[in-house]
Amino acid sequence: MLGYVWQWVYTSYLRYWLKWLIRQVTGKCELQRICSRYRPGATRTTSAEYSLRSSKSRVLRGALESSQDKLQQCVAEIMKEKNVEPQKDPLFKESLHTCLLQITGYSSLYMSVEDLRKQVFSSENGGHEAMILKLWDLLMPNVKLESRLTKQWGDIGFQGDDPKTDFRGMGMLGLVNLLFFSENYPKEAQHVLSHANHPKLGYSYAIVGINLTEMAYSLLKSGALKAHFYNTVKGAPELQHFHQLYCYLAYEFDKFWLLEEPESIMQFNQYREKFHNVVKTHLQEPDVSLTLTLSSKNERK
Amino acid sequence: MGLLSILRKLKSTPDQEVRILLLGLDNGGKTTLLKQLASEDISHITPTQGFNIKSVQSQGFKLNVWDIGGQRKIRPYWRNYFENTDVLIYVIDSADRKRFEETGQELAELLDEEKLSGVPVLIFANKQDLLTAAPASEIAEGLNLHTIRDRMWQIQSCSALTGEGIQEGMNWVCKSVNSKKK
Repeated sequence: MLGYVWQWVYTSYLRYWLKWLIRQVTGKCELQRICSRYRPGATRTTSAEYSLRSSKSRVLRGALESSQDKLQQCVAEIMKEKNVEPQKDPLFKESLHTCLLQITGYSSLYMSVEDLRKQVFSSENGGHEAMILKLWDLLMPNVKLESRLTKQWGDIGFQGDDPKTDFRGMGMLGLVNLLFFSENYPKEAQHVLSHANHPKLGYSYAIVGINLTEMAYSLLKSGALKAHFYNTVKGAPELQHFHQLYCYLAYEFDKFWLLEEPESIMQFNQYREKFHNVVKTHLQEPDVSLTLTLSSKNERK
Repeated sequence: MGLLSILRKLKSTPDQEVRILLLGLDNGGKTTLLKQLASEDISHITPTQGFNIKSVQSQGFKLNVWDIGGQRKIRPYWRNYFENTDVLIYVIDSADRKRFEETGQELAELLDEEKLSGVPVLIFANKQDLLTAAPASEIAEGLNLHTIRDRMWQIQSCSALTGEGIQEGMNWVCKSVNSKKK
């Protein structure tokens, strides 16, 4: 209870007085201090985001909702509002701009991902059909698909004769993720598929993949991926960065599953939750970077 | 509100746990139905690998609903969940006419299972929101439901997407649990 009162008093009064005091002493505003104290990355951008969001100034709060092409202008307005002289702090402008690119980029990434998720796989769409066939060719380079509707889809982990019914709530996002992994990490994807087809420890490659897309999507939606993207992308994160994160999850989940040796595929949701918690714990670390590190790096050369 | 009133009807037998098994082919709508029962968001559903379970509790009643994945590969595991089942709910995609035969076969096999003998069965003729959906009467005929003599059964048309028909089905489930206890 006392903690709450203190929190309230702090955020509503003390924080402003303290900020004002430090400003008088150091001659620098809070944003300047954040940008000079921390290296580029999650700690800097997260602190800047907090500072902007809790600011009394509409100019500062407004910058968080700004579109990417107006960010330069926003930075200029913030510097004017805060009386920052470019000569005294030459690095500030660039640093703040990068922070804002990352912060607003995260929101627009979510919107692009959501657009893709809402696109329903359609057999009438030639592009969609080409993608699903390409996924087959990449995963099964030595086996020819006998027809468009076939039990063979089960070999790469779809449920029935037609993969289209498996994308469901993840829409085209699920297919794009699966395809991205196979296109950019063909060896790793085939390696994971071979584990998935293991007679005892196996699982359904494609639908587990679609479940992992859902994991990536809900992490993004909740804001849990902020630190990861602030650390790994210098500017605004784009769709390909989201797909990269999917690749990390697909690769790491497979390792996790094999290590855990579950009794059967029926235990999937239990281990999915366990894996989800491991990922969420990583995401709490300030220097988190969930990138696929290839154990077979030398092999690939 | 809907589920609450159903549960109220079970009031005569307090602290009763009801084990409900949700089966059917893949893409029938089992998980959507489960989430509708638990009043959860249904827009991000993915194929079920393994199973989902949800308990809906109200006024001393506990409805344990087991939603088991329907893909062919994991159907052999269905039998691991038969024991102590109070009611079987079998979900059919009414618009997937190509698989009516397959779904009928699976249902017939379930009804032959010893561990499920006498267990009341509710068949949800799901996806009635689709224009191509077959009406429940047509499905009942196709599956020869009228030949079932060894248990209570009911077919209910519904749309797990819109929620239509679900309450009627669940009313029947509760009624059949009560009459079995008597």
